[in-house]
Amino acid sequence: MLVEIRELKLNLGSHAVLRNVNLTLEKGQVYGLLGPNGAGKSTTISVVTGLRAPTAGSVSVLGLDPATDPIQLHRRIGVLAEQAGFYDWMSASDYLRWVAGLYRITLSKAEIASQLERVGLEGRSPASIATYSRGMRQRLGLARALINQPELLILDEPTNGLDPRGRREIHDVLLDLSANHGVGILLCTHLLDDVDRLCTRIGIIAQGQTILEGAIADLLSDQNAAVRYRLRVEPGETPDRLPADVTLRARAGDWWHVEVSSHIDPASAWRKLLDAGVRIDEIHREGGGLEDLYMAVTEAKEAA
Amino acid sequence: MNPIALIARKESGELLMSGRGLAWLLALSVIMSVLSLLLVSNTELSLLDNAQVVYMVMGTVTALGALLAVVLGSDTVAGERERGSLMPLMLAPVTPSQIVFGKMGGQVAGWAVMYLLSLPYVWAVGSSGQNLAQAVVYLALFGTPVVLGFGFLGIGLSARLRSVRSALLTSLITLMLLASPLLLGPSLRQSTIGKFFDAVNPFSAAVNTFDSVVIDSQPLAMQFTRLAVTLVWLALTTAFAIRSVRKMEI
Amino acid sequence: MKTTFVRLLLSLSLLGVGNAWAADSLNISLVPDQANSPSPQMGDWLKFHSVVSNPGTQASHGIVAWISLVQVDPGHEQPVDLEDWSAHKAVTQAVLQPGQQVKVEWPMRLIQAGAYRVVISAVDRETGHVMTSPFVDFQVRRKPVVESGRILPVAFGIPALLLGVVGWRRYRGRAG
Repeated sequence: MLVEIRELKLNLGSHAVLRNVNLTLEKGQVYGLLGPNGAGKSTTISVVTGLRAPTAGSVSVLGLDPATDPIQLHRRIGVLAEQAGFYDWMSASDYLRWVAGLYRITLSKAEIASQLERVGLEGRSPASIATYSRGMRQRLGLARALINQPELLILDEPTNGLDPRGRREIHDVLLDLSANHGVGILLCTHLLDDVDRLCTRIGIIAQGQTILEGAIADLLSDQNAAVRYRLRVEPGETPDRLPADVTLRARAGDWWHVEVSSHIDPASAWRKLLDAGVRIDEIHREGGGLEDLYMAVTEAKEAA
Repeated sequence: MNPIALIARKESGELLMSGRGLAWLLALSVIMSVLSLLLVSNTELSLLDNAQVVYMVMGTVTALGALLAVVLGSDTVAGERERGSLMPLMLAPVTPSQIVFGKMGGQVAGWAVMYLLSLPYVWAVGSSGQNLAQAVVYLALFGTPVVLGFGFLGIGLSARLRSVRSALLTSLITLMLLASPLLLGPSLRQSTIGKFFDAVNPFSAAVNTFDSVVIDSQPLAMQFTRLAVTLVWLALTTAFAIRSVRKMEI
Repeated sequence: MKTTFVRLLLSLSLLGVGNAWAADSLNISLVPDQANSPSPQMGDWLKFHSVVSNPGTQASHGIVAWISLVQVDPGHEQPVDLEDWSAHKAVTQAVLQPGQQVKVEWPMRLIQAGAYRVVISAVDRETGHVMTSPFVDFQVRRKPVVESGRILPVAFGIPALLLGVVGWRRYRGRAG
């Protein structure tokens, strides 16, 4: 078990910021930590990384107690915080070399170039970081988090500021790390598309408590959550031939907004429609599934 | 290279290689140049006034060094926090003690640069040779603990107050307070309170020593009490900085 | 009238006796040291030697002898504050027996250019006026103390050097 958190509580002054957080992450897993703003995600991350000591509960990260062994822990983890600050007067290569030095790692020019290429910053090393865009800074932050070849990667909004291609590139890097190098990844993000593509497990925190945790497929199945799609059909088509597992939510001209039950494979639903003679020109997924699960769970918590 | 040296090198690099740091050094050198150019027009100065000129330059270097140290020190923790670069540093395998010692190393480098930049000015105005060698030595001996003390005070305040503006304001007020006896003039410093303040004030200790050595040609043995005042100041501010950084939260 | 004239003569003789009683009880000499530069300039050290002696038959008590300096440049005559010229400004002697003498050295650093006159003055409890040594005059040459040849290159050179570093950094940043 890379990360195991049981009944974590944290008070800041008299204010209970974390009331009961639970989290487990295995080697090679990508865990999505979700929750509304102010739910306690960043505070949980600060406890996991040893920046804050818990008030109660048990926290084990790579077999270490972050509160008592922070330095040992920092040698083995990589962190990309939401605000990735750098020393703007340095170049990317000088900065990475300096960071590596803090880990007592000496990197050659070729190794630094390889690190930068991995995150899509090839050819950018001589320029000072001050000239970098937000997306480039995000990539550099990821390179910094990977500098010590960590066993556990903690990422807070890692695709912030990236265009769709950039996001996909980062996803590929993360998937490669988890699948082929056994790196555990704790991903803190609001982008459910990222969670959908990357994560195998999620935990949803609200008001300082874990309200839902587990494998995504199991959670979606348990919640009977449906997945939403948008179909563009040929003019004149009518929705009377929709199969039983597909529900029409709304209709605007040639666009049909439908829901497909999470129990079935959507491809089979489209096959049924096509077999029924419906002419479909475009199919777009509109979320649902995870998004609906998230909305339902957090709204229920707020109402409670 | 160990983390302390790495952080110190980064801090001093920021002074010498960043636009902000170079701008500060340029501003301070312009002040020194203006002071020197004001003197060059007066060729009727007596030998006494020349010693006073050297003394004046030494006092100015110490004051400007303290000002630079306060500006750099106030930014060193709170500024990193505001720019988002403090958290990556705290998430590296580096202890708070190593962070503070590294930043102190940066202060030492900053003063070293300031001191070296000032030597040509001291040499240029000290042409008569009255105690020029002593001026160079005593500027290092007394200027160093006073300036570094202000730098370490800035570091400590920067860690505690979590805002560059607050830390800078508090540090500057402290600097003004300690420099005030010299602005008030000798008559006010003759009162009981004035004498006491003069006796425990590290800034006064340094400047009065410069007066004694450069103008009155007194030996080192007569300056030990004042040297002790500056060293106590340095020790107290060092302890304050270390304690403040160790206790700070992200 | 005759009585008045006799009284006048008596008064005058008494005055003369009083003057005899008011004669200096101390002799003070002042000579420059032989090693003094014949043409000193600002910053040089001079030394003067005095001997304060009691030529009389009575002891002198509570003697204070001090050095005085005046600038005698025409149009600039003024006393000089010896604060920075000399730390040795006076000597005291509780008793000087008849025939006894005290030798004093007066070191002095030449602070300002000009023409000067130095004199040693002394008082004791018995004598009713200040006793002085002969004057010694000396001239101090001016030495240029603030050399523009040094200051100008430094005052312009240091900021120029820093501007050069700034420019080089910007160029490197753009080139990168």
